[in-house]
Amino acid sequence: MTKQFRNKCNRQSKINLQDILSQWNCEVPEVVKQKNLKSRRLFLEQSIVAAGSVVISARAIAKTKTSSVDLKKLSQPWLTLSEVQEHLFPRSTDKDKQTARLSVSPGAKDIHAIEYLQTMLNTPDVDGDEKEFIIKGVEWLDGVANGIAGKPFIKLNKASREQVIKKISESSAGENWLSTLLRYIFEALLTDPVYGGNTNKSGWQWLEHQPGFPLPPENKKYWLLRNSKTAIQSRGKV
Amino acid sequence: MTDYDVCIIGSGAGGSPVAYTLAEAGYSVVVLEKGPWLTEKDYFKDELACCRRSVYTPQLKDERHVIEDYDGKDANGNYKWASESTYESGWDFWNGNVVGGSSNFMSGYFYRLKPVDFNLRSEFGPIEGANVVDWPIQYSDLEPYYTKVESIVGVSGHAVKHKFSEPRSTRDFPYPPTVEHPITGYFDKACFSLGYQPLQTPRAVLPYAVGQRRGCEYSGYCGSYGCSTGAKGSARAALIDKAITTGHCKVIPYAKVYKLQSDDRGKVSHANYYDYNNNKHTISAKIFVVACHAIETSRLLLASTGTKHPNGLANNTNQVGKNLVFSAGGSGTGEFFYKDMSKQQADEFKIRGPFINRGLQDWYVIDDKSFDIQKAKGGTIDYLLSHPNPTTRADNLKWDNNDKLVWGNTLKQRLKAEFTEKQTFRFEVFNDWLPTDDCFVSLDPEEKDKWGSAVAKVRVGYHDHDLKVGNYLAKKAETVLKQMNAKNISSSVSGSPPANLVAGGCRFGKDPAISVLNADCQAHDAENLYVTDGSFMPTGGSVPYTWTIYANAFRVADIIKRRL
Repeated sequence: MTKQFRNKCNRQSKINLQDILSQWNCEVPEVVKQKNLKSRRLFLEQSIVAAGSVVISARAIAKTKTSSVDLKKLSQPWLTLSEVQEHLFPRSTDKDKQTARLSVSPGAKDIHAIEYLQTMLNTPDVDGDEKEFIIKGVEWLDGVANGIAGKPFIKLNKASREQVIKKISESSAGENWLSTLLRYIFEALLTDPVYGGNTNKSGWQWLEHQPGFPLPPENKKYWLLRNSKTAIQSRGKV
Repeated sequence: MTDYDVCIIGSGAGGSPVAYTLAEAGYSVVVLEKGPWLTEKDYFKDELACCRRSVYTPQLKDERHVIEDYDGKDANGNYKWASESTYESGWDFWNGNVVGGSSNFMSGYFYRLKPVDFNLRSEFGPIEGANVVDWPIQYSDLEPYYTKVESIVGVSGHAVKHKFSEPRSTRDFPYPPTVEHPITGYFDKACFSLGYQPLQTPRAVLPYAVGQRRGCEYSGYCGSYGCSTGAKGSARAALIDKAITTGHCKVIPYAKVYKLQSDDRGKVSHANYYDYNNNKHTISAKIFVVACHAIETSRLLLASTGTKHPNGLANNTNQVGKNLVFSAGGSGTGEFFYKDMSKQQADEFKIRGPFINRGLQDWYVIDDKSFDIQKAKGGTIDYLLSHPNPTTRADNLKWDNNDKLVWGNTLKQRLKAEFTEKQTFRFEVFNDWLPTDDCFVSLDPEEKDKWGSAVAKVRVGYHDHDLKVGNYLAKKAETVLKQMNAKNISSSVSGSPPANLVAGGCRFGKDPAISVLNADCQAHDAENLYVTDGSFMPTGGSVPYTWTIYANAFRVADIIKRRL
């Protein structure tokens, strides 16, 4: 029996949005705060609609060798989230310690981290507060970016982006936000490709990870299991 | 006339042996299971399903626990307790709410208790602050049922004599051991040079096909995962499926029992439950068997008040929920770097699939002058590979040694190193979690589940003695890793309860003043009520509980059969 001890990194505790809002608000410029208050509800509704309308052609991804995501088709806040993901988890080059051979290792865009996040945030078992928190964070991020460099995050160069991310990581709310994004990036990197990430098993290949078997087919994604006909039916006669 | 002869609440390791035995004998049995009916066709090696979403367990927003954890001492030196719902903390106490219960997700490390475990109080004397008592039955009462489980549920292994080996009525296991990982060779060599006796851990895993169940296919993902072949001896694969074919057993999934009604004489008359659509139903039976997880069994009894049971069913001496135990101990790791090995050895260490199947019981009883208690009940050490779940492994790497978040290329290099440069070997220490007045179940006065019933509040205090024993064993466990030349050896022993290893709460005993059940696991004050999950255990032994729960449930099933 594998002992299951408490692990703070395994499952995130429930986020108390109000606490975080008040914490983070201290660091967000006043004007952004005002704007947040006015547009919060509308903003959230729009972003949920946007999530549903993103369509990405699988064939298009297979063709392009550079960025696999058609960024033109992403609307906000996903465009910014995608850039934050790529900053947190960039495509990079690994050097083999023995052979000195170079190889490219996948970044967030290569593993479809933004589409994965969109999928997951639309499943019923992701906490509504978490979803709101992730989306809300984009405004806060841009608030900090504007404060530091006078431009929103996506208009910044790499060095300034690093400065902004570093800055927000210093507050517990910001650290929480980045940590949440990383959690979903790791899922996109290492969970089964049936969920939309781990493109062509590139995450597993990069980390020389041997998955188990059998792997879940399309019709056995985890959210389909609990309410299937066989799962709810009584069996046996008396 | 009642609807059924027997109504069983819970389809896991405690309920299924009763369903199987009584249905085989021709009695009519209904099993009420609160979770879905998932089968081999639903279990895949899907980390999201097994370990990162609530698929086999309820959503915490719908059903939660309240945990009262140790929070320092006040000015007078008394313990303080901080209470938090698991919805807020994310510290999930559910184990497996599906047909077959959490036995679907066990690793199936199967150990019997030993004769000494039935008599801790007389063998080692009292321990201040602990409610240790002898069991009302002896090892010899349970032995035939341990043997029964070996063949019916399917236990594979190889029995050898050792310092603390328990008596067996058969020479060896009915199934030979499963295939072993090459690391075991290095492990055995290290143990022999230290004078320890490495033991092959018996497993509730079939090495080859038997009946409708396929043999193990060694995918390398066993514990926490549902089995796709039926090789793992889950209550569902081994017992429920067979009980159904008798034509005398009906299993209703998504049947959440919220109350047991009792009549004016104190006998249980009906079970009330909600179905999949949250409609209410009532079932009557001659005999009721509760086996729905140690914490939830106590919760259901406490919620089931009646004329003769004003404080809850079987709770007239206020013992229900008391003396809950977990498994004490902890775990440790050592790392083997491929760069320090030959290519051949590195290839061996990288293998994923076969089992380690190794444990040590050299210190099941500690008798050591250098140990500050000298003579004490010790425990079991199990060795295994680190759990392969990649997302969990990766997620742990985002925090650096100063607990600061890491990202970018630094993070990617950490991942690459963790996954590709080494194999992590792990051990787990199992020792007794002494029953105390600070570990118990009650009903929370505020928090409710989605149906409006009070949730269980669990105080999870531990006894310092548990840590002393745990640390003693962990140090011994480390010596093997050292002998194997592992690097970065570390271990951690704490009083944090492992939520998947829980028992007690309705302990059995001869004296109704300090127990809930008699030696037959029948309630002292409700003669047609039996409890057959881990709740009955007054002390837990120093091994995982499942085999003992199975064996005892088969024993009680025979008692009920004689009565019917």
